[in-house]
Amino acid sequence: MTQNEKLTKLIQLTINGESRPLLVEAHWTLSKVLRNDCGHTGTKEACNEGACGSCTVLIDDIATPACMVLAIEQEGKNIETIEGLSKDGQLHPIQEAWLEEYGAQCGFCSPGMIMSTKGLLIKNANPTDDEIKEALGGNLCICSNYEHIINAVRSAARKMSKEQANV
Amino acid sequence: MKSFKHIDAASVEEAVSLLQESEGPAYVIAGGSDLLGCLKDNLWMEYPKAIVNLKTIPGLDTISVDEDGLHIGALVTLTKIAESETVKEFWPGLAEAARRTASPLLRNIGTIAGNICQENRCWYYRYPDKIGGRIDCVRKGGKRCLAVPGDHRYHSIFGAVNKCIAVNPSDTAPALIALDATIKTTKRTIPIDEFFSAGMGAQSTTLDRDEIVTEILVPRPAQEWTNAFRKIAFRKSIDFALVNCAAALTFADGKVTSARICLNGVHNNPRRCVESEAALIGKPLNEATAQEAGELAVAEAKPLLQNGFKVPMAKTIVIDTLMDCVK
Ligand SMILES: Cc1cc2nc3c(=O)[nH]c(=O)nc-3n(C[C@H](O)[C@H](O)[C@H](O)COP(=O)(O)OP(=O)(O)OC[C@H]3O[C@@H](n4cnc5c(N)ncnc54)[C@H](O)[C@@H]3O)c2cc1C
Ligand code: SF4
Repeated sequence: MTQNEKLTKLIQLTINGESRPLLVEAHWTLSKVLRNDCGHTGTKEACNEGACGSCTVLIDDIATPACMVLAIEQEGKNIETIEGLSKDGQLHPIQEAWLEEYGAQCGFCSPGMIMSTKGLLIKNANPTDDEIKEALGGNLCICSNYEHIINAVRSAARKMSKEQANV
Repeated sequence: MKSFKHIDAASVEEAVSLLQESEGPAYVIAGGSDLLGCLKDNLWMEYPKAIVNLKTIPGLDTISVDEDGLHIGALVTLTKIAESETVKEFWPGLAEAARRTASPLLRNIGTIAGNICQENRCWYYRYPDKIGGRIDCVRKGGKRCLAVPGDHRYHSIFGAVNKCIAVNPSDTAPALIALDATIKTTKRTIPIDEFFSAGMGAQSTTLDRDEIVTEILVPRPAQEWTNAFRKIAFRKSIDFALVNCAAALTFADGKVTSARICLNGVHNNPRRCVESEAALIGKPLNEATAQEAGELAVAEAKPLLQNGFKVPMAKTIVIDTLMDCVK
C-alpha cells in the first residue's frame, strides 16, 4: 500500500440532499471539506476548536460543530448546511424570522445560530425561553445580539407551527 | 491537523487488534471533541499513526436498566444521558453532570467514555504547537512544570502528583464516582475509584494503550437514596468547571447510612471527600452537618499563590450539593 492509498479515501457525502463523491484525507474536518472542497462557505470557521458554534451544521438532524468531526466519518449521513435552507428563492421561516427580528448584526454567527435553531425546533417545536437559551448555549455572538436572536427563534417557532397547522 | 490513517472498527475485538498491531501510536476516536483538539494543536511528543473509529461498532450506544442498575454504553452521548427520563429520575446527579458539560453542540457528539478519558486542560500543556511551539512539560515527560512558577489560577488546590498540578476537567467523573460506578473494559472491570491516575504519564486513566472502555455500570442501591451534582463555571452555557461536585447518599430513619462525595477541578484526579463522608454517617443531613462536611472537604487544601479563591468555592459547593440531597 502506498502512503497515499492509506491516508485518502473516496467517499460519498450527502449535503443538502445531494450526494457527491469526494476524495478526502483522513484528518480533514467536515468544516474544512464543506468550505474548501464544496464551496459551502456559509459554514464559518472561527475558533476551530468547538467552542464558538459558527461552524454548526445538522447531521441527521442533530446540531453538530463541523470543525470537531472528521469528514471521512460522515458517509451515509445527511448533512444540512445554511445553503440548504432556502428553497426556490424562498427563505426558510427561520431565515425570515432572522431578518424581521434583526437576528444578525455583523452576521458572522448567523449561519451557526440558524442551524442550531433548526436542530432545536426539530426536537422541540415550542421551546420556552430557557430552552432556547440552553440550546443556543454553544453559539457565540461577538456583537452580543442575544436578545434579538432569542426573539428571532421565538418568532421562527411560531411561523413554523403555523405552517405546520396549515399543511 | 497532520495526517493519520483512519480505520473504522467493525467490532470491539477488531478495534483492540488494530491498536495492538499499529506500527506507531494509535488512538481510538469516539466523538472526537477532545481528541481532535489535541491533534489540531499537536500536543503530544508522538503524533498518532492511526486513529481507530469506535462509532462503527454496533451496540455501544444504548442505555438500559436492569436489577444491577444503569448500563451506559461507551458511545452514549452526553445529550442522550442528559435527556434520558430514567437517568433524570433515578440518577439526577449524573443527568445534571451531563447537562452541564461543555455546550449542547459538544454534548451532541461527546460520549461518556470520551468524557472520563479526556486529557487535562492545563493551558501550558494545551499550548498549540503552531503558535511558537508546544510546551513539553513534566506531564508530557519533559523537565519542568510551567504552571507552578507561572499562571496557575485554575490549577490544583491539593498539591501536585509527580510535579504536575493540572486538574481533572471532567464533569461526569465526579458524578460517576459519587454513584460508585464500575467501568467495563475489553480487559477487566475497574471500580471507578481506581480508574483515574494522573501522574503516570500524559493520560489521565489507568487504561492500557490497547484497552477500550465498553460500558459504564451505575448501581442502584437498595435503600432510600438521593444524588445531586453542581458546577461552578464562569459561563453557564459553556466553560470548564472552576470546581464541580457530586454527592450520593442513602438514608434510613432520617439518618445518613452511606455517603459518597466527590469534588473535581481541584486536583490531578477527581477527589473523594472521605472525611466529609465519614462525618455524615449516622447523622441527619441538615445545614449544620452539611457545613461540617464542607469544612472537612477543604481542611487539607494547600492552595498556591493565585488559586486560593477555589478553597471557599469548593467548600460551598460541597455544602450546596449536599443540601440538594436533603429529602
Ligand atoms: C470547547 C470545549 C469545551 C468543553 N467543555 C467541557 C466541560 O465543560 N466539561 C467536560 O467534562 N468536558 C468538556 N469538554 C471536553 C470533552 O470534549 C467532552 O466532554 C467529551 O465528552 C469527550 O468525549 P468524546 O467522545 O468527544 O471524546 P474523544 O475526543 O473521542 O476521546 C477523548 C479521549 O478518550 C479516548 N477514548 C474515547 N472513547 C474511549 C473508549 N471507549 N475507551 C478508551 N478510550 C476512549 C480517546 O482516545 C481520547 O484520548 C469540552 C471540550 C471542548 C472542545
Ligand atoms: S501543571 Fe501539569 S500539565 Fe500543566 S505545565 Fe505543569 S506539568 Fe504540565
